[in-house]
Amino acid sequence: MVYLVNRLLSVVLTLFLISIVTFGITNILPGDVAMMIMGTQSNPEALAGLRESLGLNDPLIVQYGRWIGGMLTGDWGESLLFREPIAPLIQQKVLASGLIVLLSMAIALALAIPLGVWAARHRDRWQDTTSSTTALLGLSMPDFFIGIMLILLFAATLGWLPSSGFVDPTEDFLGAVRHALLPSLALALGLMAHLTRMTRSAMMGILNQEFIRVARAKGLPERTVVWRYALPNAIGPVMTVAGLQIGYLFGSIIVIESLFSYTGMGWLTYQALLNRDIPLIQSTVFVIAAVVMLVNLAVDLLYRVIDPRIRLE
Amino acid sequence: MRKFLSAKALIGFTLVAIVLAVAVLAPLFIPAERATQMVMTARLQPPSFEYLLGTDQLGRDLFARVMLGAQTSLTIAALAVGMSIVLGLPLGIISGYFGGRVDNVLMRIIDALLSFPALLLALTISAILGPNLQNTIIAIGIAFTPFLARIVRGEALRVVQMPYVEAARAAGTRDGAMIIRHILPNIMPALIVQATISLAFAVLAEAALSFLGLGTQPPMASWGLMIQASRQFLDIAPWTALVPGAALAITILGLNLLGDVLRDVLDPRVR
Amino acid sequence: MRDQTQPAAPLLSIENLRVEFQGETGPITGVKDVSFTVQPGETVCVVGESGSGKSVTSLSLLRLVEFGGGKIVSGKLWFRPDEKDPIDLAQLPTEQMVDLRGDQIGMIFQEPMTALNPIFSIGRQLTDGLRRHRKLSASEAEARALELLKEVRLPEPERRLTQYPHELSGGMRQRVVIAMAMACRPQLLIADEPTTALDVTIQAEILGLIKRLKRETGMAVLFITHDMAVVAQLADRVVVMRHGELVEEGPVEQIFAEPQADYTKALLASVPKLGEMRGKPGPEPLRIPGQPDPVAAPITADTPGEDRPILSVKGLTTRFPIRGGFTRRVVSNVHAVEDVTFDLAAGETLALVGESGCGKSTTARSILRLVDPTAGDVVLDGQDILGLNPRDLRRARRNMQMVFQDPFASLNPFMRLRKQVAEPMMNFGLATGSDLEDRIATLFDRVGLPRNFMRRFPHELSGGQRQRVAIARALSVNPKLIIADEAVSALDVSVQAQVLNLLMELQADFGLSYLFISHDMAVVERVSHRVGVMYLGRLVEIGPRAAIFEDPRHSYTRALLSGVPIADPTQRALKESVAFKALPSPIFPVGHAPAPPVYDEVSAGHFVLQT
Repeated sequence: MVYLVNRLLSVVLTLFLISIVTFGITNILPGDVAMMIMGTQSNPEALAGLRESLGLNDPLIVQYGRWIGGMLTGDWGESLLFREPIAPLIQQKVLASGLIVLLSMAIALALAIPLGVWAARHRDRWQDTTSSTTALLGLSMPDFFIGIMLILLFAATLGWLPSSGFVDPTEDFLGAVRHALLPSLALALGLMAHLTRMTRSAMMGILNQEFIRVARAKGLPERTVVWRYALPNAIGPVMTVAGLQIGYLFGSIIVIESLFSYTGMGWLTYQALLNRDIPLIQSTVFVIAAVVMLVNLAVDLLYRVIDPRIRLE
Repeated sequence: MRKFLSAKALIGFTLVAIVLAVAVLAPLFIPAERATQMVMTARLQPPSFEYLLGTDQLGRDLFARVMLGAQTSLTIAALAVGMSIVLGLPLGIISGYFGGRVDNVLMRIIDALLSFPALLLALTISAILGPNLQNTIIAIGIAFTPFLARIVRGEALRVVQMPYVEAARAAGTRDGAMIIRHILPNIMPALIVQATISLAFAVLAEAALSFLGLGTQPPMASWGLMIQASRQFLDIAPWTALVPGAALAITILGLNLLGDVLRDVLDPRVR
Repeated sequence: MRDQTQPAAPLLSIENLRVEFQGETGPITGVKDVSFTVQPGETVCVVGESGSGKSVTSLSLLRLVEFGGGKIVSGKLWFRPDEKDPIDLAQLPTEQMVDLRGDQIGMIFQEPMTALNPIFSIGRQLTDGLRRHRKLSASEAEARALELLKEVRLPEPERRLTQYPHELSGGMRQRVVIAMAMACRPQLLIADEPTTALDVTIQAEILGLIKRLKRETGMAVLFITHDMAVVAQLADRVVVMRHGELVEEGPVEQIFAEPQADYTKALLASVPKLGEMRGKPGPEPLRIPGQPDPVAAPITADTPGEDRPILSVKGLTTRFPIRGGFTRRVVSNVHAVEDVTFDLAAGETLALVGESGCGKSTTARSILRLVDPTAGDVVLDGQDILGLNPRDLRRARRNMQMVFQDPFASLNPFMRLRKQVAEPMMNFGLATGSDLEDRIATLFDRVGLPRNFMRRFPHELSGGQRQRVAIARALSVNPKLIIADEAVSALDVSVQAQVLNLLMELQADFGLSYLFISHDMAVVERVSHRVGVMYLGRLVEIGPRAAIFEDPRHSYTRALLSGVPIADPTQRALKESVAFKALPSPIFPVGHAPAPPVYDEVSAGHFVLQT
């Protein structure tokens, strides 16, 4: 119980730091918000007036305070690019990206874990070499390149799946999955490579431990030893790595979503960056960082629930 | 030493050597104009005797572009990783060696920074500073710093607890000498491995940034830009994407293999 | 069992076993050509140092060596359970091997702390083997598991079934491992160094347990160890191995009384035996056949020295805070060292003994201020150590140096040896240039290392050689006090003897004072003038070596001494029913201030803590 409270306080502190970093980065911007709203040819006095009314001449601390206050009360400002309130804009997009992230993680884990276990079990033999090589190849191709290949194969040549667009899953679930599948696959292949290697190395470490020898000496067949005794011990470290990869995924979706014109958070962030839409940049970057941090928190808590050593502390 | 002769090591070394050779030597043999010269009559040509790897949509020789692109990618990656080391190494060592309050504060900040996906940080910094060659290096360098600082800190923590550090302290070694004689040499192996792997990611990151238009700008020959340009012509001229893509894959694969081999060689002995 | 004139058919018969491993440059032979037998109900101890092949031999029997990259290249492993037809374990198909393991042959290993799957309950790990071999139902298996836990005398057995390994101590875990191995009533129990990682008193318990189980079930035991004293207490027959070959074998009394092979003789001579030092005035180097006789005359306690003790420790207390909560405030303290007082004279060796967690290492670190004590006084050669500012402390470090336990980890892997020995001298500017080189060379000579080792790196040396480098490093600044923190515990017996002799020679030559930290009572008996016994952070008894060993007064000292196996097969003292003792915790809430200790002086210089 005490641990949870401490963790929560820790989370709040980190969110605070994240907000400072976000605000800090976007304010080194050598661009003029006022000019962006009104256009570069505008009347200097009108620009000055707008700057004043937007509070751009106030000290940074005050501007920060205003921004943070707005975030906390739900007023996330208006996007310069879309001319819409930001909060609802983000809400939709988070759902869309969530779908891709979950789908790709699920595909990756489902493939990586068995593959990694198989490789570790047949260490240094052909099974190991094959899976390691495949993993390495997957790791080495940029995911946007994989995405392009997938588009070429499935959309352009075979025409099985759409190459762009997004469908709201609450309206049309199947359609949503169809559109999410290629982007998720593109992400999953690179992810799977990394997770396979992690699983393999975690399993190899575990198979070297004393309790595995004891289990074999007890007369348990090797299949039981690997899958029932060793693997559950590997889930923890693999899960931790998977959690860290979520952070990496949220970076990759910026590229992938743009590639597939899939309108999620990544796509939104990219549009914001391209067009120097500062309020939108601030909000999207903050949300992504916050989500990554919360996911890591969730993974950590899950780990504590699973591992009896920590659970009973 | 046998580990250096394994298939993995040989392939890794060879690939990296090839890419390095191309990066260094290509500019000497291929005049820069060949990469930027637009021959409108020879647009989107498939690979042929004259154009070994074909041409792109502006009639530029893809072979030249991809070879010269090696220099761009490797230089940016190397400088970016170098920058992350220059920033991250001192941070990590101070945090890990001195511990206490300093470590607590630094780690909280690093943790917060690590919540930002590296690519996102790089993109944001690049967008803010204005995308060009130098800013791409700075953006990727800054984005990779927190992770490197973390790794260095971890290693420093491990080394600080070793009996030989205690022995040196008992022998009267001062902090400065301690760091130089004992801490640095013992974190070097892990740092070398991490630097190699970071190089692979930096090449990837530069390609992604350029692909999105927030990295190197045309008419530079950069693999990411080449892939981006090829998007529209995928169905009629797939080689325009395959050529730079393959180059990227070879480079990243070679660096990853090298990092793996280095890890196998350097880590078990130290541990 | 031992004096059967007509040997019955052996239970286990190893013939010309040869095991190889894949090395980096070619095959490495782990076991060259080993043959011996084990009769039903007999205890055979296989003894040797590291690299002797004793473990590999035992792992080959159940073919577990294959999981570590080993291969049985040739030889036969005849196993004859219930006097049926013998089966060759080396050729047995995997399926049948898996059936045999844990059923007719059980095996226990060295590291109890990692021998159990951390995420399964004790009950689950006990029952899965049972259910596999005996096809029991879940409830039948659980009942049997409970019986087994009772057999191994694990306290509160019902509770343990649902507990997880991390909730049990090392000794308790080893009992569970033994229960698992015994579950199907094996005919042969293979024990690979099962007590090496355990404290002396726990070791006595486990050995007693094995002895009792053997008597109750009539099983044979193949016991692998490096400890000759354990062999003397447990074995019917002994097999001595070295470098993968069998050196000598025979009944235990014969091996100890009349060893034939030179190696066996050297091995036996290198082992300090408890009780050997009776009547000797001071520490005495070990006489090892095949090595030149030690040069030093033994030091006696009344060598004229200064009146003032070289080290004076009063009321030393070191507590480690346990922090918790968001603000990381202190929630409780570990009382690692509590109110410890003793003196050390010039040229004297004071040993601090105790089991793991008693605070002896922390005491050493507190004196050197590698950790900062909470309270007390430490005066070294007239200087108040605890009151020094960091700069003066650094200078004071010249007078006290330390040799650590782990020869691998106490040297920087990336630094040449000459630089490591030179470092203390460089720090204090004691010598430079050719003068420095000369001093390094002299030091290498003095510790018995060839000069060309100066250019080498640690990984090129053996454990014993590394420890010599560490000693040279400690000597380099001519300290008055050297603290040896389990300095020989990680070394093989023969190497240990050489390093101990070296330490004693250096003491005679340079008049060094040693604070010798150890858990090995026999070694301590050899090297010390005075001995202090620690338990739970307190000094429970202190006095001249003869007094402590011949007239122990405190109950803990007695328990400690009675648990030490005696290296003499004619004096079998292993008790089968050593009761299980749980170690109380040294963690107390903040502000808990225990009463100061009061000592009785039972004879000259011999103090015992009042309880």
